[in-house]
Amino acid sequence: MRYWILFILSIITVWGTDTTLEVTKNVGALPKFVIEDGSVVSGLETKKFHKMLSADMKVVSLFEVDDTYAVQTFESSQPSLSHKEAGYILRYRLVNDGNGGFKAEVKLLQNSLELFTKTYLLKQSEMLVFLSHSIAYDINAKMGGAPLEWMKRKVLLVRLSGARRSEIVAADYTLAYQKVILSGGMYGFAKWANREQTDFYYTALSDFKPTIYKANLASGVKRSIVSSDGMAVCSDVSEDGSKLLLTLAPNGQPDIYLYDLMTNEKKRVTDYSGIDVNGQFMGSDTIAFVSNRFGNPNIFSKKIDSSAINQLVYEGKNNSSFTTYRHLLVYKTRDGDGFDLRLASLNNSGSRRLTSSGDNDYPRFSYDGEAVLHIKQEGSRSLVGIIRLGLNKSFTFPLHVGRIQSLDW
Amino acid sequence: MKRIAYMSAILALLVFSGCSSKEPTIDATANGSVSGNGGANQMPTTQSSTGDNVAVIAPVTNANAADTSASTGASGADSAKAQGITSILFDYDKFDIRDDMQENLKINSGLVKNKTFKLEGNCDEFGSDEYNFALGLKRANAVKTALVNEGISADSISMTSLGEGNPICLEKTQECWAKNRRVDFKLP
Repeated sequence: MRYWILFILSIITVWGTDTTLEVTKNVGALPKFVIEDGSVVSGLETKKFHKMLSADMKVVSLFEVDDTYAVQTFESSQPSLSHKEAGYILRYRLVNDGNGGFKAEVKLLQNSLELFTKTYLLKQSEMLVFLSHSIAYDINAKMGGAPLEWMKRKVLLVRLSGARRSEIVAADYTLAYQKVILSGGMYGFAKWANREQTDFYYTALSDFKPTIYKANLASGVKRSIVSSDGMAVCSDVSEDGSKLLLTLAPNGQPDIYLYDLMTNEKKRVTDYSGIDVNGQFMGSDTIAFVSNRFGNPNIFSKKIDSSAINQLVYEGKNNSSFTTYRHLLVYKTRDGDGFDLRLASLNNSGSRRLTSSGDNDYPRFSYDGEAVLHIKQEGSRSLVGIIRLGLNKSFTFPLHVGRIQSLDW
Repeated sequence: MKRIAYMSAILALLVFSGCSSKEPTIDATANGSVSGNGGANQMPTTQSSTGDNVAVIAPVTNANAADTSASTGASGADSAKAQGITSILFDYDKFDIRDDMQENLKINSGLVKNKTFKLEGNCDEFGSDEYNFALGLKRANAVKTALVNEGISADSISMTSLGEGNPICLEKTQECWAKNRRVDFKLP
């Protein structure tokens, strides 16, 4: 009997060793994932939806996504003939509700077993891509993937529509959906006012003095926050939405101010005679900002209540674009022939390159610091890029938006 | 023989259970979202009746897109041009008045004397959003300082920056970008 016990123990030991090896191997071998159209009437719209879901599920990064289109009865527990090898099947049934919207039924199958089912109601058919994002978010959550809340959030951008003309646009993270929410004048620097994305700040440049307004997304009702001769920009909003970092220039001199929305008091944070702009919170007591105090635009930091300035970036000569999330900083810098994005931390020296091709600009952290959105120019192609920092992966989508003035997420 | 069969059975059990771990483990009932009925009958009539199994994706906004308070602001620059006032040009990433612009500035100061006017700073398409606006403003401020030195009242001058939002040339050439790095005079 003891020989038996020894024999079984030795098998378990050997098998355990193999298991570890298998797990290591599995890191590179993701399960195959297919998406099938189970709509009663499939056509251009349902095929387009298939493409959207394929793109989103690739960004989810939990599977090896096979993006070949196939039709299969929604109720069937079996894959279509061309998807026999699939480990997971995501099947949808898209129905036009006759009121300008869609109803989508979705289920996730593994080995004929339904792992997840859900019904989605979309009020406006032109927002189909948000439906895709919501489904991808739910599948990711079901499978225990890394946080993906940012996928469902809205992007706010200002695009130049002509000389002295610009529009404020709400979009999804791929910028495939774009809805003009303010037009008719010249605007700049649109920025979400709160985590819930119900309100936003922007600068009206058609007013006698540049004026920062706060507007409600649903109603369009706006109210003036502050005006300044020359320049008035809301550069950043504190995590709790109670404080703003503004660039104002009451005497033609652009400097950074801390604005308290509870007391309506503003405090000057920088006082350099050149250019200090683009203040961004890095925690509650420190800001990062762009200054040309050493001759070229570069990124510096300072405590709000201190006069000491620290240079944050030592590479490149034109570092005028950056984004922060707590102690992290992503900035644009010239690398070889193009502009790349790099990641740095207040807590460590050194930096990590995040992009490797094209000209990259307008980096914007997601509100949870999980991802960075940016615009990429590769030759004549414009792209919107998403970098998932935790997974060290990046994705791009074709971009048709014109010239962007500002971007917020 | 029996021993061999027994050992084979144990080995098979271990191997098969090992294979199953190659795919992520899924608990089919973990979040209660599994439904055998599909969902066709679960469609709520109002948004408030939604549960975990139904999501409603509402419109981004219903707000009216037109900003009725906005003005075009282009006519003032045309008016200045008609009176012979010229724009002051700047070098790349600079806001100091070039030597070749001093004469234009002197002529302009004579044309705007005793008038109220606005200086609009402009930039080429390089540089990022806020920095470009600040650069445009510093250019406008440099022109204002020079005009005050010529005897123009500082109170008669207002300033703004339009960044790269008001180009007069759209080609991607050095000559074109040079034309966009300028300060315009705008009369009421």
